[in-house]
Amino acid sequence: MRQSKTIFLVCLALLLAVYYLFIGLHLAKLGYFNKEELFFIEKAKIVFEGQGNRLKVMGLTSPLLPFYGNFIFTLIGYSVAPIMASAIGTAGLFYIICRTIVKHTQDEFYVLAVLAIFLFHPGMLAAGCSGKSTYMVLIFFYLFFLNIFKFYNSNTTFHISIASICLVVLIFCDYKFVWLTLFFIPLVLSIALNTLNLGEKESIFRLYISFNNPSLRRKLISKSLAIFIILFLLPLSSVLIYKVLNLTHANDLDYFIESPYSNWNVLAEKIDYSTLQDEVVHRLPEVSIMISARVLIFFPVILLAIYLYRENTYQVLTLLTPFLFIEFLKIKYPKIFIAQQYYLPFLILSLLCVATKVRTIRNEAIFKISIALFFSVTIFAGYYMLRSSGITEERNFIAALIDKKVLDDQQETQSVAAYINSLPPTSKVLLDDAIAYPIASFVADIRSLTLPYQAEYLSAIEAPQKYDRYVLVANSKNEASSYTELNQKYVTLYRLGNSNVSLRKVHETTNWVLYQIL
Amino acid sequence: MPEELSELAESGPVKATVADSTSYSKKLPIPQMLVRDGFITDEDVEKIYRHSERSGLSFIKIVLNFGYISRKNYERSLNNAGYAFEEIREQPYDKEILDQVDLKFADEHLALPLRKENGKIVTIMADPSDQLFIDFVKLTFDCDPEIIVASDLDITWLSHKLIGIPYVKSAVFELLNRDAESSALVTFTNSQLIFIFATIAIIATFLVLSFTLTAIVINVIISSVFLVAITFKLFLALVGSRFELHQQVTKEEVKNVKDDQLPIYTIHLPVYKEDKLIKKLIWNLQSIDYPREQLDIKLLIEEDDDKTLNAVRNLDFPAIFEVIVVPYHMPKTKPKACNYGLHFSRGKFLTIYDAEDIPDTDQLKKVVRMFEKLPSNYICIQCALNYFNRNENFLTRMFTLEYSYWFDYMLPGLDTLDIPIPLGGTSNHFKLDNLTELGGWDPFNVTEDADLGVRAYAKGYKIAIVNSTTYEEANNEPFNWIRQRSRWIKGYMQTYLVHMRNPIKLWQKVGWQGFLGFNFFIGATPVTFLLYPFLLSVFIAYLVFDLKSIRLLFPDWVLFMSIFNLLIGNILMIYVNMMAVFKRRYYELILFAIANPVYWLMHSIAAYKGLYQLVIKPFYWEKTNHGLSKVNNSANAVK
Repeated sequence: MRQSKTIFLVCLALLLAVYYLFIGLHLAKLGYFNKEELFFIEKAKIVFEGQGNRLKVMGLTSPLLPFYGNFIFTLIGYSVAPIMASAIGTAGLFYIICRTIVKHTQDEFYVLAVLAIFLFHPGMLAAGCSGKSTYMVLIFFYLFFLNIFKFYNSNTTFHISIASICLVVLIFCDYKFVWLTLFFIPLVLSIALNTLNLGEKESIFRLYISFNNPSLRRKLISKSLAIFIILFLLPLSSVLIYKVLNLTHANDLDYFIESPYSNWNVLAEKIDYSTLQDEVVHRLPEVSIMISARVLIFFPVILLAIYLYRENTYQVLTLLTPFLFIEFLKIKYPKIFIAQQYYLPFLILSLLCVATKVRTIRNEAIFKISIALFFSVTIFAGYYMLRSSGITEERNFIAALIDKKVLDDQQETQSVAAYINSLPPTSKVLLDDAIAYPIASFVADIRSLTLPYQAEYLSAIEAPQKYDRYVLVANSKNEASSYTELNQKYVTLYRLGNSNVSLRKVHETTNWVLYQIL
Repeated sequence: MPEELSELAESGPVKATVADSTSYSKKLPIPQMLVRDGFITDEDVEKIYRHSERSGLSFIKIVLNFGYISRKNYERSLNNAGYAFEEIREQPYDKEILDQVDLKFADEHLALPLRKENGKIVTIMADPSDQLFIDFVKLTFDCDPEIIVASDLDITWLSHKLIGIPYVKSAVFELLNRDAESSALVTFTNSQLIFIFATIAIIATFLVLSFTLTAIVINVIISSVFLVAITFKLFLALVGSRFELHQQVTKEEVKNVKDDQLPIYTIHLPVYKEDKLIKKLIWNLQSIDYPREQLDIKLLIEEDDDKTLNAVRNLDFPAIFEVIVVPYHMPKTKPKACNYGLHFSRGKFLTIYDAEDIPDTDQLKKVVRMFEKLPSNYICIQCALNYFNRNENFLTRMFTLEYSYWFDYMLPGLDTLDIPIPLGGTSNHFKLDNLTELGGWDPFNVTEDADLGVRAYAKGYKIAIVNSTTYEEANNEPFNWIRQRSRWIKGYMQTYLVHMRNPIKLWQKVGWQGFLGFNFFIGATPVTFLLYPFLLSVFIAYLVFDLKSIRLLFPDWVLFMSIFNLLIGNILMIYVNMMAVFKRRYYELILFAIANPVYWLMHSIAAYKGLYQLVIKPFYWEKTNHGLSKVNNSANAVK
């Protein structure tokens, strides 16, 4: 790759980062925040400013790597850090994809086409501007598949081990991607079978021959096992080790995926689903088999990708694994909506196929027209997808972006935080950040809060008067009130058990009440 | 054996221990005699003479050392012709006579004048018809020689013992005299001792003043070093693994190498009590694809090693190497033997193999081609080492995992990043002139190869890696393994101490990359092995007992870093090992990589032994016993 091309791509990526940053900051000004970024802001404040068992927060906050990805930007400011990370990360993804393209073709049309996707596709805009960790998922998803494809061509350890490392990072960006390993098992067997030195060409006969010859059978099994180990040992053992760390530090193997203190998604998914079920206009969640159809409708460009690789069995099988994966997600987690984070990889995968196959296209004019057509439809479908999403945050984002109207702003939480900020420095507030992390993220001094990561939290729940001057309680209207101890029931029980101490409402909003302990 | 010969053999040898040159001159010259006896042909004789003209070697030297005739047959042929071989080791000698003989000349002709007796010079000769040497004796001493026919091996032994002292002195002290700072004769310099004891004193003082804080600081330093080392090793392995994407020298390039344009190639085979391996050695050397006449193979045998010498003597087939006997001198180390061998080496390039090594057959040609492709400042090429007996037991499997990782990933990684490469013990191919210029190997360093690699970098030279493998015998016995490993780790400590005598100077010479690389690979390796059991115990104690005192010494950040290092570090190192055997297609070994933490504990035992020896007997060479493997190497090495 010529140096001028690299400079050109770096400049484009930088401009794209500025573009995302500008939109992200503008949306934040409008009042758009999402749960993930607020969660990370709060946890970052605990890590850098908190007092107590910060190791647990630092090591067990999930998804781990996007959380760390924000760290470097916290030097500039806690609230802008997630937006900066996602803006720069998504621009980085653009650079990586374009670098693959320019290695295969000199035609700048393809770079511009990819740029159009990154500029206008709402999913990519959400990845770049929202401050969520989607960007990291997409980067490592892309790198994982890129290296798997390279491995098919080169058959070298280097590519397969890089793919494995990318998978590790991907899993630590989103644990659900661990299930992707499941669908690679038949693929691994197929690769091992194909690389055996046999005269027979047909796979089924190759399998027959290999299984009926002890030496070949041993070779096939040891090779399949070896490929599987090289590809998946690192991800699986990393997960195992991480689970052990969870067990030793939180007495729960699955703390990082099941505790609301560790993972913002735990409550967000439940609340989203139950809220939608309670609505007057009842919406059906996605049905398992329909997920693949949705992928094809919202990302028709994947059809083009499959077409490009129609003569390469491995690659087509590899392209089908994410379909199996997303269908499996729906079966494994039936009571959640599939977020766009799991749809966008199809777009990235399509770009990867275009990038790696562009060199082999014979009729380039028709191909370019097809690209333009498929990309345009994909961008358009993207808007429809987000508008019709079952996930509030996704609808919220598109409304803020297009209509400049924030459906679910954080004015309420900001007002509670502002009140806490106005309290005298010595007044500590008892707060459960399982649901109140948005408030904690807006609080200026995290040390003014008594939070569950601190050893004295449980004692403070029992006898708040000894530790805190205030206690923040979820109102009965708060949709997450049943997921915290600090709700109205707590107030009633506390009043019953402590007749000598009284609680006085000092600040109340629709979802929150701040009591002063007298 | 021809008929006349067998008849003569039955009649027994003629007893003629000492004879003058005229009595021998009446007999048939040795070349013709060998032709008559059917051991060589007339074409061979012509070929040998042409070779002799080119190389300056005598006829007999070529006949016995380039695979024309076995020593047994030669002796038989001479016996049948009426010559008798005499034991000469106890022969009296006159120092004044010996002083007038150059060892190289004597060695080339396998002859040595010993003393003046009855107006004649008593001369021991392997070829009593060597007119050039007879004329030399006549001219030098102005009298006729009285010839004693003796075995060429005995003559070699005696001549090196009697007149090899200046050469062995040079082998031991050359580097010390030329560049004392690079010699490991002094293990700890005064300033290093002051530094070590001052550091201990400071730490002790701080521990007394504030035990917890000091312990935390030490933990932070250790954790940081580990963290950087692990990340760096993974990075290096990934950089190195890219190496498999291209071949430095392709099969096509090797095919295009023209045999008649190949230079003389010296191979050093330092051995000590390796009598069991001599037959294997010949077999392995026979397979090397290189013109035989262009090979200069030296079997370096210690003076007191009669076992190996007799094994060579008793070979039933022609040898294709030349024996060099290294006179007794302390320290008795492999580098000293190799330095001694340098004096007699004739090649443009030189390499070292162990007796049990099986190099890829095209290795020498690949190296020659590689040197042609590289800039002139590349003076050494290292080949990968691996094991032919990998599936023998747990230890050999672990050793194979380790070597595959080290030579296939780490060294290419270091090479790519231009960091000094600690050379492997064998299969490092040098340009002989540059090796001599560097002062050869340090005889006081027990990992002279690693030291030489750094020394070469410090002089501005470079080392490359080539895609060729030498298969060795993996140590299959735990105590033998610990002995070998303790020597290696001690050698790393020695090398580190030598080159860190003046860290700023080293930095200036090898640059920051080289300096950091040196510290991480040569310096940190023994330290990590020494610390490993300690850190593992702390971690186990923390997991099992949850000791509060441990919490005190490991605050949040440090604990996080330590756990990350221990868990992720172990996994990564295991994984990199797996990658290496995957690359080699040793699929059956992949799962054994999981046993690495246990294997590293064995390293720790060896490291403590090495540390102890560094203080007590730094130059002591822990001999590794070879030939213990029951695996038939030739069947396994095919790759």
